[in-house]
Amino acid sequence: DFDDTELDDYSFSCYSQLEVDGLQHLLTCTFDDSDINSTNLEFEICGALLDVDCLNFNKLQERYFLKTKKFLLIGDSKICVKLEKKNMTCRKMNIVKIVKPEAPFDVRVVYREGANDFVVTFNTSHLQKKYVKVLIHEVAYRQEKKENNWMRVNLTSTKLTLLQRKLQPNAMYEIKVRSIPYANYFEGFWSEWSPSFHFRTPETNGTGEMDPVLLTISILSFFSVALMVTLACVLWKKRIKPIIWPSLPDHKKTLEQLCKKPKKNLNVSFNPESFLDCQIHKVDGIQARDEAEGFLQDPLSLQLEESEKQRLRGGMQGPSWPSEQAGITPKIFRGESPFRCLAGNASVCDAPGLPPSRSPNGREGGKSRPLVYQDMMLGPGTTNSSLRPPFPFQPGILTLNPVAQVQPILTSLGSSQEEAYVTMSSFYQNQ
Amino acid sequence: MSHSAEPGCFPKNAHINTKYYNIVIYNILERSPDNMINFDSNCLNNEPNFFKKHSCDDNKEASFLNRAARKLKQFLKMNISDDFKLHLSTVSQGTLTLLNCTSKGKGRKPPSLGEAQPTKNLEENKSLKEQKKQNDLCFLKILLQKIKTCWNKILRGIKEH
Repeated sequence: DFDDTELDDYSFSCYSQLEVDGLQHLLTCTFDDSDINSTNLEFEICGALLDVDCLNFNKLQERYFLKTKKFLLIGDSKICVKLEKKNMTCRKMNIVKIVKPEAPFDVRVVYREGANDFVVTFNTSHLQKKYVKVLIHEVAYRQEKKENNWMRVNLTSTKLTLLQRKLQPNAMYEIKVRSIPYANYFEGFWSEWSPSFHFRTPETNGTGEMDPVLLTISILSFFSVALMVTLACVLWKKRIKPIIWPSLPDHKKTLEQLCKKPKKNLNVSFNPESFLDCQIHKVDGIQARDEAEGFLQDPLSLQLEESEKQRLRGGMQGPSWPSEQAGITPKIFRGESPFRCLAGNASVCDAPGLPPSRSPNGREGGKSRPLVYQDMMLGPGTTNSSLRPPFPFQPGILTLNPVAQVQPILTSLGSSQEEAYVTMSSFYQNQ
Repeated sequence: MSHSAEPGCFPKNAHINTKYYNIVIYNILERSPDNMINFDSNCLNNEPNFFKKHSCDDNKEASFLNRAARKLKQFLKMNISDDFKLHLSTVSQGTLTLLNCTSKGKGRKPPSLGEAQPTKNLEENKSLKEQKKQNDLCFLKILLQKIKTCWNKILRGIKEH
């Protein structure tokens, strides 16, 4: 009855393993149908063999295998299933095209803390073989307790690096390896998986988190820098810039500042009654400079110069000296007497010439008759435009009483060969 | 690629790239047992007559390999190790498998290595046997080298094309 009888399916599959034991190879065949009754069935291979035409398989449970050196490894062979020496089914196969490599082994995983990665290494017996030496290895790893979530990596070497940041921290992982031939001549199937290796990742993920100490230092540094920048911006104009880039004294502005800062004991009134406590010496008169020049060579004038110099110096050091009160010490004298008085007339003196200096109102004092203000004696609020010399500008000099202490409020010095000048730096310093 | 002048004798799969032949020839020729590479250095410098008649000339490579491979089979009868016999079989049969020849001598009995010597006394026979064995080994060494050289010549021709 052909309807009830099912024809046995003798279809089978085979794979070869070369040099499994020295020069011996292994050929293994199994039926595709595991339920088949293989009691009287045999396997035979013919062709592509050395010195023989055919070889018979050995049987072990449901597997048929042949271990031999006599594979030519060139050309096709014919493998047949025999039932009582009758061929039931045959297949043409090329031994080098059904190669199944041996499974890798000795899988190891080493964690490198400095590099924040895991180095995976494994071994394979094919490194020592002559035929199937070049293989593709597949490394598969997964986090345990997560089924079928395998990550896979293909490589031809036996070493792999896994980055820590791609793995979960403080987790257990499973990893395994398998191989397949990788060459134009040898082809075949994946090997069996290697024994699995288990490893645990460290708790902290080093790539994502910073060291707390380092983080604290970074924050403090940031705020310190921000504070310094803020202070620099605030204090730049008043404190920092004058030190780094001191500005040249401006006569006008300096005098303005002086005028804006009335001294405590400064009496800025023109009312004579307010000077009752002060010793005021009248100025006798102003003589022309031409007359005074005649006394330049007079020895008496030299003596007089010395006395006048001493008095002036004493006067300059007096408590009522306005420059002291004003905090200004004009550097007028260069070692020579500023006055050269006419012989016989101590009141007629010639003042050493002064370099042109700016008048408070910005004008130069002229080439021949520069004005020097030892003390502005001006009231507060005096502006640049309103500045006027307290005494009219006149050529000549103011003759001083040689007896009385000299407290010149204003000294108008004519030009002479000796030029004395008040450096604006003195104003700057006294400021 | 140069083909043999004899009709119907040429390497199989000539269109396949060189890498295929490199792997095959390597497996055939390079896997000889290490202890069989270096033969007795006392081999005579006189080239055997076989190689005077047959050589790997241009357009005759396949024909030469065909004859050399068949000659190689005769050495399986020698008293040599099983591994070496296996190697000789691999080289011989592998070569014949890679060639496609319609040999005129197909079916003929392969020629013997040498002619039978007349019977002599024991001592002389022993000496002659030793000498013959030595000569055969030298012949075998030269034959293997010639086969390898001729295959390399064919592979170079494949590369150039």
